Amino acid sequence: MAGHAGDSDGRTRRRPADSVRRHLTDSERRETFEREVLPFVDQLYSAALRYTRNPADAEDLVQESVAKAYAAFHQYRPGTNLRAWLYRILTNTYINAYRKEQRRPTEVAADAAEDFSLYDRIASHREAAAETVFLERLTDDEVREALSDLPEQFRIAVYLADVEGFSYAEIADIMGTPIGTVMSRLHRGRSALQKALYSYAVERGLLARS
Amino acid sequence: MDADCEHLVRQLHAFLDGECDEGWEVALRAHLADCPPCLRRADFERRLRMIVATRCRQAAPQVLHERLVRMLPSWPQG
Ligand SMILES: [Zn+2]
Repeated sequence: MAGHAGDSDGRTRRRPADSVRRHLTDSERRETFEREVLPFVDQLYSAALRYTRNPADAEDLVQESVAKAYAAFHQYRPGTNLRAWLYRILTNTYINAYRKEQRRPTEVAADAAEDFSLYDRIASHREAAAETVFLERLTDDEVREALSDLPEQFRIAVYLADVEGFSYAEIADIMGTPIGTVMSRLHRGRSALQKALYSYAVERGLLARS
Repeated sequence: MDADCEHLVRQLHAFLDGECDEGWEVALRAHLADCPPCLRRADFERRLRMIVATRCRQAAPQVLHERLVRMLPSWPQG
């Protein structure tokens, strides 16, 4: 690299930044991949569980995605957003391979929840600050199920924003959609999520039906 | 609900996402400092997001970690 730095005829500048990877030996590349990518496996698995809704498919999805990332590792540019790159691979792999078998009739139902606000439902029926106490009483399974049951595009957007904290621009890039689409999926997805939590709470008697 | 509160309700999710433009960001921050009902609403939404985030994180089974490390050398690399 240092030897090329002084070249000003453009030949070296045309060389893409990711070519650094190509100079690595096979074992160096494997070590780099193990060191930089494998620490994300827990996070990717978490997302895969929410995407696919079951542990066996989640394991398959992660394995397939990591294998793809390994094969494409030379395309990843060092110093750019590795986490977003991995999520793009995971999300594409899921959308292309797994969702076909998983279309469910409930996937159309989220329109109805477009403007649901859990806070507005609870706050008017409870004393001050009781609403946050109520949140703590939701079980892990209830929260996970509420998210997993969202229609696919909403589920992915809400997961990427609320669990992973990706920006709108990153989510747009990961999902391959315009930012406006991301915003509308987030809005509708969060409404539907809150509506589901509300109905679990009513079923379990944590809240009175309003 | 006055106009400022309505703005806040409408922009709250974008605000919590850190995706408001700067002018709104400052205005909403000032409003929250000044309006206990809106602050309570914002705290609720923040707490709900935190609950979703923490409960939806699950570690991968150890066997998956082990399998990936084992399989890596057999995969084609680019
Ligand atoms: Zn207010």
